[in-house]
Amino acid sequence: MCHQTVSLVARHLEAHGIATVIMGCAKDIVEYCGVPRFLFSDFPLGNSAGRPFDVESQRQTLELALRVLESAPGARTTVQSPMRWNADAAWKLDYLDMTKLTPEKLEERRREFTEVKSIARGKREAS
Amino acid sequence: MTTVAPETKPAFAAEHDAPIPYMQRTRDYYMTLGYHPYRWAHFAEVPFTPLPKPLGRARVALITTAAPFQPEAGDQGPGAPYNAGAKFYKVYSIPTASVPDLRISHVGYDRLHTTAEDINTYLPLARMKEAAAAGRIASLGERVHGAPTNRSHRVTLETDVPEILRLCREDRVAAAVLVPS
Repeated sequence: MCHQTVSLVARHLEAHGIATVIMGCAKDIVEYCGVPRFLFSDFPLGNSAGRPFDVESQRQTLELALRVLESAPGARTTVQSPMRWNADAAWKLDYLDMTKLTPEKLEERRREFTEVKSIARGKREAS
Repeated sequence: MTTVAPETKPAFAAEHDAPIPYMQRTRDYYMTLGYHPYRWAHFAEVPFTPLPKPLGRARVALITTAAPFQPEAGDQGPGAPYNAGAKFYKVYSIPTASVPDLRISHVGYDRLHTTAEDINTYLPLARMKEAAAAGRIASLGERVHGAPTNRSHRVTLETDVPEILRLCREDRVAAAVLVPS
């Protein structure tokens, strides 16, 4: 949802004369929406700006994004950061992996989802 | 005469070593839970504004989806479970001169493989201040703007997005860096 939100913001700013670049980790969501410039880091969601406790990785990620901002030849420019989260890519199999869910786990998730939705609704209506 | 092709072992990466298909995973997940699939925003046309001046002379905004810490809203610490109570539904602004306490317990980041312990992995404010100090960008906008991550495209498009444009114009920025969490 975060990636979709910033994509919608980037499109609107860009349509009104402000140049934008998105730094993000969900390539499909951003590209499906369609944005002007995107620096993609193939990292777990939550690390759009570089590796934790690694200033050099964060500095390089920002520098790449700034280079995309100044040099993209046109819309839908995606550049992928060369940094790897891990030499082994097995972490990519885990996000919302249904195969590991037992029927009990599934029921628990269903309950959690309904609960979360009702909390969010209450919060939204109160604001 | 027959020839047998030698067995080749191309040095390809693993098949799953590609960007995660989040839309498909989310669709499958919610279908299994019994919910309708989410309709993701999708456009055929994409606007484009060339950077109007070199970055060394440009003021640049930082826009985030992280949430201001709310002491009354439960666990928002590193690795906290998804916390819908920490969500926010209005665009907010915080001075970039401050060191804001912004958290991401209200979104679906990868809790299995990362922890959100270091704010600099999802908010490049410190790195952008360094870029401004080094002259890589002329300056940072005076405020960080926070965008609510609403499931409703309509609310985002009709309410939040115009508000962020208004704020960016007030801040007189030429460009913006947007960072989802």
